[in-house]
Amino acid sequence: MINPLPRLPEFEYIRLDSVESSVQFLKEHQGDAAPFMGGTDLFVALRDRRTHPRYLVDLKHLDGFDELSYDAKQGLAVGAAVTLNQLISSGEIQEHYPILRMAAEQVGGLQLRNRATLVGNVCNASPCGDTIGPSMVYDGRANIIGPDGMRSVELDEFIIGPGKTALQAGEVVQSISFPLPPRQNRGTYLCIGRNKLSDLAMVAVTILAYPDDGSLSGFCFRIALSAVAPTVIIDEEAQALLSEHAIDSSTIEKAAQIAMKTCKPIDDIRASEAYRREMVYALTLRALHDVWKMLHS
Amino acid sequence: MEKTKKIPEIIGTDVPRVDLEEKANGEAIFTDDIQFGNKLLFARIKRSPNPHALIKSIDTRQAENLPGVKAVVTGADFAGRIGLYLKDRHIFARNRVRYVGEAVAGVAAISEEVAEKAVDLIRVEYELLPPIFLPQDAIKPDAPLIHPDLGEYEVVNFIFPEPGTNISNHFKIRKGDMGKAWQHCAAIVENEYYVPHIQHVPLETHVSVAKVDLTGKITLWTSSQSPFAQRDLIADTWGISPSDIRVISPFVGGGFGSKAGVTMEALPIVIAMKVKGYPVKLRLTREEEFYTNFVRQALLIRLKVGCDADGNILAMENTMYWDGGASTEYGVNIARAGGYSCTGPYDIPNVNADSYCVYTNNTIGGPYRGFGMSELHTGIEQCIDELAEEIHMDKVAFRQRNLVESGDILATGMVMHPTGIKDCVDKVAGAIEWGKPDIPSDPHKKRGKGIAAMWKAPAMPPNPGSSVTLKFNSDGTVFVSIGGQEIGQGAFTVAAQIAAAGLGIPVEWVRISKPLDTDNSSYEWQTVASRITWTMGNAILAAAEDARKQIFKIVAEAWMEDEKDLEIVNGVVVSAASKREISLKEFVITGIPKENDQGWIGGPIIGRGMFMPTYVTGLDKDTGQGERAVVHYTTGAQGFIVEVDTQTGKIEIIKAVSAFDVGKAINPDLVRTQIEGGMMQGISSALFEQLIFKEGVLQNPNFVDYRIATTVDIPEQMECFIVEVPQNDGPFGARGVGEHPMVPTIASIANAIYDAVGVRLKGPPFTAEKIYLAMKDQRQTGS
Amino acid sequence: MKTYPITIMINGRKEQLDVSSNLTLLHMIREKLALTGTKNGCEAGECGACTVLLNGEPVNSCMVLAVECDGAEIMTIEGLTESGEIKELQESFIKLNAIQCGFCTPGMLITAYAFLKRNPNPTEAEIKTALVGNLCRCTGYERIVQAVQDAAHE
Repeated sequence: MINPLPRLPEFEYIRLDSVESSVQFLKEHQGDAAPFMGGTDLFVALRDRRTHPRYLVDLKHLDGFDELSYDAKQGLAVGAAVTLNQLISSGEIQEHYPILRMAAEQVGGLQLRNRATLVGNVCNASPCGDTIGPSMVYDGRANIIGPDGMRSVELDEFIIGPGKTALQAGEVVQSISFPLPPRQNRGTYLCIGRNKLSDLAMVAVTILAYPDDGSLSGFCFRIALSAVAPTVIIDEEAQALLSEHAIDSSTIEKAAQIAMKTCKPIDDIRASEAYRREMVYALTLRALHDVWKMLHS
Repeated sequence: MEKTKKIPEIIGTDVPRVDLEEKANGEAIFTDDIQFGNKLLFARIKRSPNPHALIKSIDTRQAENLPGVKAVVTGADFAGRIGLYLKDRHIFARNRVRYVGEAVAGVAAISEEVAEKAVDLIRVEYELLPPIFLPQDAIKPDAPLIHPDLGEYEVVNFIFPEPGTNISNHFKIRKGDMGKAWQHCAAIVENEYYVPHIQHVPLETHVSVAKVDLTGKITLWTSSQSPFAQRDLIADTWGISPSDIRVISPFVGGGFGSKAGVTMEALPIVIAMKVKGYPVKLRLTREEEFYTNFVRQALLIRLKVGCDADGNILAMENTMYWDGGASTEYGVNIARAGGYSCTGPYDIPNVNADSYCVYTNNTIGGPYRGFGMSELHTGIEQCIDELAEEIHMDKVAFRQRNLVESGDILATGMVMHPTGIKDCVDKVAGAIEWGKPDIPSDPHKKRGKGIAAMWKAPAMPPNPGSSVTLKFNSDGTVFVSIGGQEIGQGAFTVAAQIAAAGLGIPVEWVRISKPLDTDNSSYEWQTVASRITWTMGNAILAAAEDARKQIFKIVAEAWMEDEKDLEIVNGVVVSAASKREISLKEFVITGIPKENDQGWIGGPIIGRGMFMPTYVTGLDKDTGQGERAVVHYTTGAQGFIVEVDTQTGKIEIIKAVSAFDVGKAINPDLVRTQIEGGMMQGISSALFEQLIFKEGVLQNPNFVDYRIATTVDIPEQMECFIVEVPQNDGPFGARGVGEHPMVPTIASIANAIYDAVGVRLKGPPFTAEKIYLAMKDQRQTGS
Repeated sequence: MKTYPITIMINGRKEQLDVSSNLTLLHMIREKLALTGTKNGCEAGECGACTVLLNGEPVNSCMVLAVECDGAEIMTIEGLTESGEIKELQESFIKLNAIQCGFCTPGMLITAYAFLKRNPNPTEAEIKTALVGNLCRCTGYERIVQAVQDAAHE
C-alpha cells in the first residue's frame, strides 16, 4: 500500500563550505547521507518512504557547481546546480545544443524547473528521464569529484541501471560537460506523455544527425530511445543502417522498424509494452523525417 | 415563487462575484488556515493495508507511550454506525476492514510528525478474507458477503437492499410490454460499457478540526458542502441533539460532491473525545484524498435499445451494476438516480431497468458531480448513436425525433415538464456545423464530430428543505443567513442577487453571513444536486416577501396609507399614491416615530422564509412507477469536434460546445463559468482519468500518475449557449446547472472519435494508447 | 530535533527564525509565519498551489527547505498584494471571473506574475505553457488564460 508521510521525515541538513569536505562527509556517512540538489525527486522519495538518509548534504552553493559555461573551443559545461530554467534561458544552449533545451522544456512546469537540475535529472537515472537521451547524443560526460579526486565518465557508462549510476562512495557529479557538437548537426527530441505537456514520457526519441564524409550515406545519426528499457538506450543497429545506406523514405522506415525491435519496453501503469513499441516506431519515424528535412534546409 | 410582475433587472445581470477580492489577495480563509493556537493537536490515521480482513487485535501501547502523543483511539472506542441513506459504516473499523485505506486507529499528538510516528507503532493483526473487486463477482450467488449484517442496517424507505447478498440497493423499472416492443423493432442495438472509478480531485484536500468540550458540546470546523447534514448525521450516530454539535465551514476549495455527507469528518471527533477541550486537526494528504475517501463509483452498464422503421425508440433494457465499494451509505442513491433516469432524455414507452448498487472491497463510492448521470449517459448516448446508424438516420435527427417533450410520460410515470432540450441540441449541432466534415490539420490526422444530449434531476430525499433569514442593519444593508455553501460555484453571489431582487434593494447592500455555522446559519439540507440556486433562491424570495410585508405594514401605518400602494425601489420605500419616500435605513432597526412624539411604529425587521418541495412521491418497489419521481430535470447537450492523430492515437479537442436549459440564468456569466469548468472536468474524465486498482490497492494516488487536465489541454475553441425555458417553481424561473456540464462529455467525445476513426472503446479514459491499439485492431481484423 | 537559525526577507520584512532541517518553505510560511494565503495542494511539486517567489523566481514551496532560504527573499501572495505588484493581474482575474473556489488562485497569480515579468507580451500558447504547473479543477482554465492576457495588455 502506498502510504506517504504527511510531510518530510526527519533528517539533518548539512551544508559544508568546500567540495572536499562535502564529499568526505558523504563517504564517511555512506548509505546514510544523500546529496541534495534540486530535491524534486528526492523529496518525493523521502515522503514515499523509499529512502531514509539521515543527512541531506547540500551541494548547490559549492564552488563551480552553479556554473553554466560555453566555450567556442571546449564546448559546454553545465554545473550540478544549474536549474533547467537556467538551461532553457541560455542563448548558447539554444544555439548550439537545442535538443537539451527541447528536453528540458518537457520536465514538470515552470516552478519545478526553477529547482530541477540537468545533473539531478541524469543522476536520478530514471528510464524515462527527459534530459538523458539528449545528453547522451551530445556525448555528455559526467565530471565526478570524490574523496579520491576527480574522474570523468561518459554518460552511457555513467548510468548503469534504472536509478543506478557509477558513482562510488562519497562521489558526486560536479558538472556534465559536452564537447562541441558536430558541425552542421540537426536534432530533435520527441516524446509522448498522457497529457500534452509536463507528464513523464511514456516513450521518447532523441535524434542527432550531421554530415559525415566518413560514412557511406554521407551522414551520421545518433539515436537514443527513452522509457523503453531499464536505461536510455542507443540504437546502434539503426544508427549503422543510416550510416551505410543512402537516406530516403525507405531507409528511414527501416530504421524506425529496427528501433521498434531494439527497444525493450514493459507494461506499467503509464502504458503497455505493445503501445510503447508502436510509439517507438511512430516517434522514430517522425523524428528521422523531421531531422532529415532540417539537414536539407 | 414566480412573480407576476416583471423580472427585476439585477436578475440576468453579470453581477461581480462577492467573494473574489479576498480570494485574489490570499485573505480568503479555508479550514486549514484557521488559527487555533497552542492547544491544537494533530491527528493521523492508521489505515488498513488489506481490502478485506477481520481485525484480530490492535496493540496501541507503544503508540500511547510515545512522547507527544495525547490520545489513541480504535473502533473499540466508538460503536455507532453512520450513513445518509443506509447506515452501513463505522467511524473506525470494528471487527472487519473492507477496503485498503479504511481507518483502523487514530492518534492525536503535538505535531503531525509525532502522530505519524505513533501510527507506525500501532500493531494490527489481520485475518485475511477473500476480497471482491468487481460488481459482477459480488453478485454471484456464492460470493462472500461484505456486509453480512445488511439486513440489520437502518435504511430509508426508498432504498431497497437485499440482505444476504452484496446488493445494497436494487431499483427497478418495469413499464410497458417488452416482449411485444422488441417484436416491433426494426433495429436493435445491444452493448456493454464500463466506466472506471475516478476521484473528485478538489485542490483543497479534506480537512476537519474537532473539539469536544468538557460540557460535551462538539464543535467541528470543516471544509464542507453540507454542514447541516454533517451535523445531523453525526448527532444521530452519537445519540446527541443536533444543538449539541456545531459545524462551522468557511470557504471550500472545491467539493464536486466529495465534501457532502460525512466521510473523514467524524474521525477527529472520536479522537477529540479523548482529549476534551483540545481541538484536533485531521488533514488528508493528497494521496489519502485519492485512496481513502469518496470516489466516483465505477459502472458496468448493459443496454439494449430498439426502434421502429421510422426511428421511434420503442424499448430499452438497462442493467446497471454500480461498484459501490466498501460502504454504500450514499452510493445507494446514485443507483436509484441512475434507475429512475435510466432512459436518458428520451421518450421510451417500454422500459425495463435494474439498477444495482453493489458492495465490493474497493474504495467508497460517493456523490460525484453528476451523481451517476455521466456514467449513465456514457452508455446511453453511445447506444443512441449506434441505433441511429443501424436505422440509417442522421444522429441529430434521430435524437430530435425521440427527445423528451413537455407532457411525455417518463419511465417512472412522471409527466415531463416544459424543457428546451431540443433547442439545446439544435444550438450545439449548429455550432459544430453538424453534417459538414472538418478538414484535419495534417494528412495523418482525422477529424470527427459527436453530440450527446443529457438530463439530470436533483437527486435528493423527497423532503430536502431550505431556509433563510434576512437581518437588516441600521444602514439598510442586509445579512442574508443561508445554509447553502460557496464551493466555488458562485452560490453566495447568486444569493445576494436574489435577495436584492426580492427586497428591491441594491445588490451592494446585501451581505452573505459567513462562515456557515450550524448554530447561527439558517438550515439547508446540502449544497449538492445542483439545487441551491433553485431551492435556496426560493427560500430567499420567501424571506424577502416576509420582510417586505413587515416593512409595508410599518410604513402603511406610519403614513396611514394602503400597503398595496407601497413598493421598495433601490432601498427606498415609495408610495404610488402619495409619492412619499422613506429609505429603509431610517427604520429597519429603530422603527418610525409617530407624530408629535407619541411613540413608535415597528422595530427590528427580520425576514424569514423557507422552501421545501412537497410533491415528490414514492415509487413502487417493483415497478419504479409513481406520480412524481423528481422535482424537475435540467437538460442540455454537448458537441465536440475532435482530431485524432492516427500515428499516435492522441486526441486534440478542436471545439467543445455546450447548451443547457437553466430556466433563467440569474447570473449568466456564472452559468457560463460553471459550464466551462464542468466541460473541462468532463474532458479530463474522458481523456485522462482513471483510478487504477490492483487487488484493491490504488496504484496511482498522486498527480504523477493520476492525470488531470492542465492549461494546455483546453480545447482550441469553447462555446456555451444558455437556453431558458422557465422552471415553474424556480426563483424567476431558474433551475440548477452545476453538475450537468460534465454529464454528456464522455459520450460526446466517444461519438466524435467514432466519427473520426470508426472505433468505439468499452469505456473511458480514451487514452492515446487505447485509441491507437483499437485502430490497429480494426485495421487487422478489417472490422 | 536540531534547529538552525535563518534570516529571511519575507514580503519585504526581515525575519529571524529557528527551523528544523526538514521544515519545508511551505510549512514555514503557513505555520511559523501564519501566512496562509499560500496553499498546500499535494506536497509533491505537482499542483502549484504552494507557489511563492524565491529570490524573484516562482518555486513550489513544498519542494524547498526553509533552511536553504537563509539570506533569501521570499514573496507570498500577501506581500505581492501589499506592494501592489499584482494589482493588474488580480483585477483581471476578478473582472473575468477567473476565480471560483479560490484555492489555486494565489499560486496562479504568482506564477503568472513572474511569467509576465519575463515575457510581457506573451502569446496565448506561451501563457498556457507557463501555467501548466498550476492545476485548477473549477474554472477549466479558459478564464485564467484570458485574465493573464488581459493583464498583459494593460
